[in-house]
Amino acid sequence: MTTEATRGHTFDGIEEFDNRLPNWWLWTFYLACIFSVFYWIHYHTLGTGNLPIKEYAIEQAAAAARDEAAAANNPITEESLRELAKNPAIVEEGKKIFHDPTRCALCHKPDGSGLIGPNLTDDMWVYGGKAMDIYTTILKGRPGGMLPHESFGQQFVMRSTAYVLSIKNTNLPGKPPEANAKKEQ
Amino acid sequence: MSDSGSSSGAPGGGDAAPAPKSVPKPVVQKGKLPVRRPDVDTLFSINPDGSRNAIHPADVKGRFQTRKHLLWYVLIAIYLAVPWVKIGERPLLLIDIQARHFYLLGQTFNAQDFWLAFFFVTGLGFSLFVVAGLWGRMWCGYACPQTVFLEGLFRRIERLIEGPAAARAKLDKAPFSQKFFRRGLKMVVFFLLAALISHSFLGYFMPVEVLMEAVTSSPTKHMTAFLFMVISTLILFVDFTWFREQLCIAICPYGRLQGALYDPDTVLVGYDSKRGEPRGTAGTAGAKDCIDCFRCVTVCPTGIDIRNGTQLECVGCANCIDACDDVMTKLGRPKGLVRYDSQRGFETGQRRFWRGRVVLYVALMLVGLGAFVFAVTKRRPFEANLVRARGTSYTVEGDRVHGVFELHLINKRSGPRTFHVTDIGPAGAEIVVAMREVALESLQDLRVPVHVFVPMAQWKAGLKCELSVRCDDPDGELVRLATAPLLGPSGAGR
Repeated sequence: MTTEATRGHTFDGIEEFDNRLPNWWLWTFYLACIFSVFYWIHYHTLGTGNLPIKEYAIEQAAAAARDEAAAANNPITEESLRELAKNPAIVEEGKKIFHDPTRCALCHKPDGSGLIGPNLTDDMWVYGGKAMDIYTTILKGRPGGMLPHESFGQQFVMRSTAYVLSIKNTNLPGKPPEANAKKEQ
Repeated sequence: MSDSGSSSGAPGGGDAAPAPKSVPKPVVQKGKLPVRRPDVDTLFSINPDGSRNAIHPADVKGRFQTRKHLLWYVLIAIYLAVPWVKIGERPLLLIDIQARHFYLLGQTFNAQDFWLAFFFVTGLGFSLFVVAGLWGRMWCGYACPQTVFLEGLFRRIERLIEGPAAARAKLDKAPFSQKFFRRGLKMVVFFLLAALISHSFLGYFMPVEVLMEAVTSSPTKHMTAFLFMVISTLILFVDFTWFREQLCIAICPYGRLQGALYDPDTVLVGYDSKRGEPRGTAGTAGAKDCIDCFRCVTVCPTGIDIRNGTQLECVGCANCIDACDDVMTKLGRPKGLVRYDSQRGFETGQRRFWRGRVVLYVALMLVGLGAFVFAVTKRRPFEANLVRARGTSYTVEGDRVHGVFELHLINKRSGPRTFHVTDIGPAGAEIVVAMREVALESLQDLRVPVHVFVPMAQWKAGLKCELSVRCDDPDGELVRLATAPLLGPSGAGR
């Protein structure tokens, strides 16, 4: 019973009318078509837009550039770290990090006298006791259990280094020096 | 919607009820242009040229209206209040996207529990199937937020500001200068309500404390949330001001599925054509109960004539039932010319509740919800995973093999818990756990360093570090094992 108002196909007695689509529906379609042209040209023809992978790479590069600029403006040296260790406010911040029961204190005890990790208050150092050695140890980690802390950011590492420098040579009784530790002032 | 109105197998529109499969005749009244009447071949809310035909349903009173309005006010209160309700310390329902924490009825879930959502959503989805199989679009007319806010709030305010249906239709055609004030006032009120609703909606996805903090401070501090809010407010505003029934007709997938969920025993809003046809004003020879007064058409919020049978536009609002009952009462005729009944009911007066499809839908619903409830009650109250510390394998220190691990603990309970770690093996090894007793807040996690020293003499491949983690829980003590394989020099200690 196909009439001129239907599309002419039948399934299980169901026919389809040939009514005009609502204008709002058509407009969503037209706008999507227009949008797709600009989208395609912008992202795929001219390449003026950045697809997600490229955008990610750009953001990564920008973050790296920021870090480098910060490092160039304020280079980390033996002297700069010792300078920081003389600043009580910075040492206090480092103390908060160190005493956090989930961080340094887990292995070195809150007072730094050593538990799993070595005693940090003596003058015996496995990986060097200079400010830059301690900084690198905290930043990059060491074999034998010391975890890297790069993901916490430079400020975190600088502050905890400052605190370790402040307790160095306070000689608290604690874990005896490791077999491979060397004496260092 | 080119296939609109092809209501095959619909009660009233099916074989038994000889409802007019209408070729719409323009109804010409004296001195007036032809009036378009709803038919089953086209959408009444869309004009033949594709433009929108605004529907202005007339006022209607009756038992179903009273029930609906009561229910709506309760539901509006619930929808707006839920984000603020807490069970103990925890929200009643919160999907905290940023923190990836989910709260439901006092239970806490984290990202690892997300697989449970599958059973929860399928269970809820099939419960809608059950409702549709039994009573058609009962959900749509009574409980769907679109209907509840549109009919229970926005349309009521429109009625208050712009007047009854005829006045609203007249205002539509009035020149801009005449409608500026009323329309403007309505738009402002609608916009404020849309903003209120979208804020409440946002409260389901971020804690209300954070939301309130965001609302009372500068938008520049939380641009994403602010933009989300602006866009969702605009969407709601356009929806409730203009789009309205088009959402139920053309967008909602549940509405489009309905036709496949019905059978001849599904109870729907329908017209008793046996009792009503042929129509005619009271006193006309041969005319039965329908007096063709068009009240059922003028009160319809989607613009259909229910006497043409069930159509996809019908949201089951029962406005036409109340309208017709009112007319029948005035005429001294029995109510129920338009009523809730099934196709079989209209044909033979019989109804059936339990059918194969209802049993199937109920079974599927129970599978989903049952699996969800079972999994929630049986799920692990905490996670304890032993993982090798990042970037390490093993070191040989003197006559011992040294391995470094992290014990990752996650408390998934809704309150704070304390965990006790004891070592089990390997035998003869020294195991140093940085913290033997760990107190964690709800959904807090911690990585505890673990050092394992195995004497070289006892080293052999395949050794595992085994820890037992015990949680003191009011529901009873819970113990989990955390194991990880140890690495060491091959060939040593053999």
